[in-house]
Amino acid sequence: MDLESLKEKFYRLVAPSLPNEWDVEEALSPLADNDSTCLDEIFAQIPAIWPVSHSLCFAYLSAAGPALCCLAVDELSLWVHTLLDRYETGGLRGAQLFMADVEQQFARQLRGQGGLRLTNVRPRLQPYVNGLAGRELPLLGAAEAATDSEVIFLPSEIALFTEQEENFLLYKLMASFQWASLAAGVFAAPPLLKLHRKSAHPLDCFFSEFDRPDDARRLFHLLETGRVLAFLRQELPGLMRTAAPLLPRLPLSGDEAAALNVLDRMQRGLLRGDWPADGHSPLVDRATALLRRSAGQATDNRASLEAVRELMVLLAPDEHLAATAPLIFQGTLRLQEMRNLGMKRQADKELRMMQSATVSLPVVRRPADAGAQSGNEGGQQGHDAALITEMEQAWEQLTPFMQSQALQISIDDMPQPPADPSRDHGQTRVTGQTTSATGGTAGPAMARTPHAGRKKGQEMTEPVVYDEWDYRRKGFRKKWCVVNERELPPVQNTFIEQTLKQYRGQIRRLRHQFELLQTGERFVRRQREGNDIDFDALVESVTDNVAGLPPSDRLFIRLARDHRDIAVTFLVDMSNSTSGWVGQSIKEALVLICEAMEVLNDRYAIYGFSGMRRLRCEIFPVKRLDERYSRTVRQRISAIGPREYTRMAPAIRHMTSLFAQVEARIRLLIVLSDGKPEDYDDYKGEYAIEDTRHALLEAKAKGIHPFCITIDRQAHEYMAHMYGEVNYIFIDKIKQLPARMSEIYRTLTS
Amino acid sequence: MSGRQMRIDEYRIEEEPYYLPTGDELAIAEAAYGDGSPLLLKGPTGCGKTRFMQYLAWRLQRPLVTVSCHDDLSTSDLVGRYLIRAGEAVWTDGPLTMAVRAGAICYLDEIVEARKDTTVVIHPLADDRRQLPIEKRGELLTAPPEFMLAVSYNPGYQSVLKDLKASTRQRFIALSFDYPSPDKEIEIVRREGHLEPELARSLVKLAGMTRGLKDSGLPEGASTRLLIQTGKLIGRGIPVKTACRAAISEALTDDRELLAALDEMVSSLF
Repeated sequence: MDLESLKEKFYRLVAPSLPNEWDVEEALSPLADNDSTCLDEIFAQIPAIWPVSHSLCFAYLSAAGPALCCLAVDELSLWVHTLLDRYETGGLRGAQLFMADVEQQFARQLRGQGGLRLTNVRPRLQPYVNGLAGRELPLLGAAEAATDSEVIFLPSEIALFTEQEENFLLYKLMASFQWASLAAGVFAAPPLLKLHRKSAHPLDCFFSEFDRPDDARRLFHLLETGRVLAFLRQELPGLMRTAAPLLPRLPLSGDEAAALNVLDRMQRGLLRGDWPADGHSPLVDRATALLRRSAGQATDNRASLEAVRELMVLLAPDEHLAATAPLIFQGTLRLQEMRNLGMKRQADKELRMMQSATVSLPVVRRPADAGAQSGNEGGQQGHDAALITEMEQAWEQLTPFMQSQALQISIDDMPQPPADPSRDHGQTRVTGQTTSATGGTAGPAMARTPHAGRKKGQEMTEPVVYDEWDYRRKGFRKKWCVVNERELPPVQNTFIEQTLKQYRGQIRRLRHQFELLQTGERFVRRQREGNDIDFDALVESVTDNVAGLPPSDRLFIRLARDHRDIAVTFLVDMSNSTSGWVGQSIKEALVLICEAMEVLNDRYAIYGFSGMRRLRCEIFPVKRLDERYSRTVRQRISAIGPREYTRMAPAIRHMTSLFAQVEARIRLLIVLSDGKPEDYDDYKGEYAIEDTRHALLEAKAKGIHPFCITIDRQAHEYMAHMYGEVNYIFIDKIKQLPARMSEIYRTLTS
Repeated sequence: MSGRQMRIDEYRIEEEPYYLPTGDELAIAEAAYGDGSPLLLKGPTGCGKTRFMQYLAWRLQRPLVTVSCHDDLSTSDLVGRYLIRAGEAVWTDGPLTMAVRAGAICYLDEIVEARKDTTVVIHPLADDRRQLPIEKRGELLTAPPEFMLAVSYNPGYQSVLKDLKASTRQRFIALSFDYPSPDKEIEIVRREGHLEPELARSLVKLAGMTRGLKDSGLPEGASTRLLIQTGKLIGRGIPVKTACRAAISEALTDDRELLAALDEMVSSLF
């Protein structure tokens, strides 16, 4: 296929986007040589990648041709699926790394030849480590095993053994060893040590006393390894027993028996029990004795520190230990990071103390210059305020995506390392993740902190981030939509009075019907057991007995408490298309249902939703579940009006998460909508319907019954798919909505 | 009267139950008993609240009437009701009334599970009046000095909807229970589960690990009771890992990943 027709095909797939022609040409030209089946398959993936990131899509096109050398054509979609996951956790950089080595990163796993990845063992290993430590001790990927006291680092992949079970066991041993290093006090400060540098770890200060601090450090770590292994044998005997056959098979450095240094020999002793014979050399003899002793009984690192002093004297000037790699589970000592964390913690603690102290300090001001100072202060305040406003305006002008980036940077400054899976890919912090061709379409959304100065309605709570279902890749776009709860400013007008007047008769009828629903507590007569005697039944029973008839034993009255215990949320579409009669009828329907609901004890909430694009999904609470049907609520109903688009799924997910905190026997979510889910961006058609359907399935899985009332004439085409055959109703005449809605509610809950 | 006497005697605890005090709970409880104050025991499930009550009842030589509360428990279930026997209406005391009459200890287990309107009936009994009105009989019972009221609840897993009313809560002397310290717990598990000290030590260590998993989705870890049950299984010849799986892991969670992690802990320890 020639380049022109490829380009044409590409533009057709990504319409309505019009990417630069030279970008497209550059990405497509290497593909021209492929045969048409390959090309079809490669192009078939574009709709799944393009909306996620344009840069990623171009990178994919460049990499897809070479990838097909290692992959079968039908494996490509699975590769893309993994690629998108990788993009979401590791950003563009992670995705590029993934694409660069198809064989190692993907094909081997696919054929079952690959090693075991940390991401796969984490669900099992993380709670295990938390249980060991009694606190959250995140497992993060790194080149070598290590710990900085807040996090345990493990290799991202272990492919040492052919059996995955053995690889897992090694992971478990590594994690347990790192925990044990913390628990056994390997990193404790040496006693009576002069601290030369405050910023260095005390152990580093100790090592720097020697001519060759690095060798001292290696010796110390090895001696401590012996002790930690002994500690593990004592604390986790089962683990050490199962790991025993594994230890001799772990890799060791140095192979020529003659050239082995003291560390090599000790490592052989530890792993294989292959201790050097006595009389080898004073250093080795002494080291063996010390290692065995410290492994036997020591409860802290003091013996190892003493041993290091002793051994460093014996270490010949020409004997270097640098060639010996640490044991695989032993990993590296991250002393400096540990120290930094410790100092940060200390600083935070001091800061908190200072803050609490300043709060309690009374403000003392000298009376003489108070006036001048206050004047100054006012000026300064004004200046500050102006600066803040400017910053806010600048913030507003940023694309939502850039805002999310800005926030990410501030998160990087936080003292605790965030449990960021992107570290898995050898990256330290997220930077590449956010590279993208177009601002609004890529990268996980970050919840922005609310700030003042919004035009319509204040943000009421912290924004919440939700995933979005992408049917094309059969997976979630993670942290995709930002949902804000906004206040709906109450509106005072005659709408409520007019509605109440217009539907006077109907409301009375509804209330009567709803009263019948209300059961609450009632006495049930003629029961076998009960709180009190049913005297009518008793008299009957006695007379029956006297008359020679078999007397009944149902003689009691029981108080039956049939609580309806229903919580219902009405989710109202506030999209632009509800203007005019539609919106009016929806509002009237809400007033009617509220009036009727007041005679019931059912808890109910009303929320409106609208928004534009994934970063601004808005939820307008009209009445919360525990709120009374007050004047403010009525005024908020009046304030419901057409706004922007219908991105329904985030709203449903938000309702699901709100419902999760509600205890009720029946939890009902009634959606009032006038059409298909749709948003300003490419959220429309099948994608939107599938996402909404998935959100509804999630709700059902949480025990919520969704139901939709729609006035869209085309509803039958997609509603049954989204909600299920019986879970929606189409109302033909919009004017009937107020009457029908209460009726529907009554049937649904009785 | 003799019938009633016989019934209450069934609630007497003849043999000394095993209880290892973890603090000054016994002294406080005995002082409260001497004062006629009611007791509120709170703590996680299986940490020894009920056993403590049994031990206290044995020490004080009072019968122990235990009522497990549930949300269908009515006032009549506690106080009593009329029953029809041979064409006659006969009043039958509920457990609370029976305990008051006999000067026993009435222990309402998991009090928050009962409906709030039911728990109100204990209010006059739980303050200095120490009275129990029996409306249906028009009777006002005054509790003898030997009577004691004790309630328990688990603050850990109840929802906000199930909390004690302040007016109920503020009538009690409260004792907070938690899992015993490792040494004591080892001793308890060893004795009650008839285990070797080493095995008891490992079981307690395992329990300690499961109790650290709050953030990983396990709101409550393995209780002392579970450890004792595990010990008993082991004593009956079940292999240690199987016993741990049956009595601890599976009892704690249904989550597959957590189960796997618990299995890892078990296989590390034994």
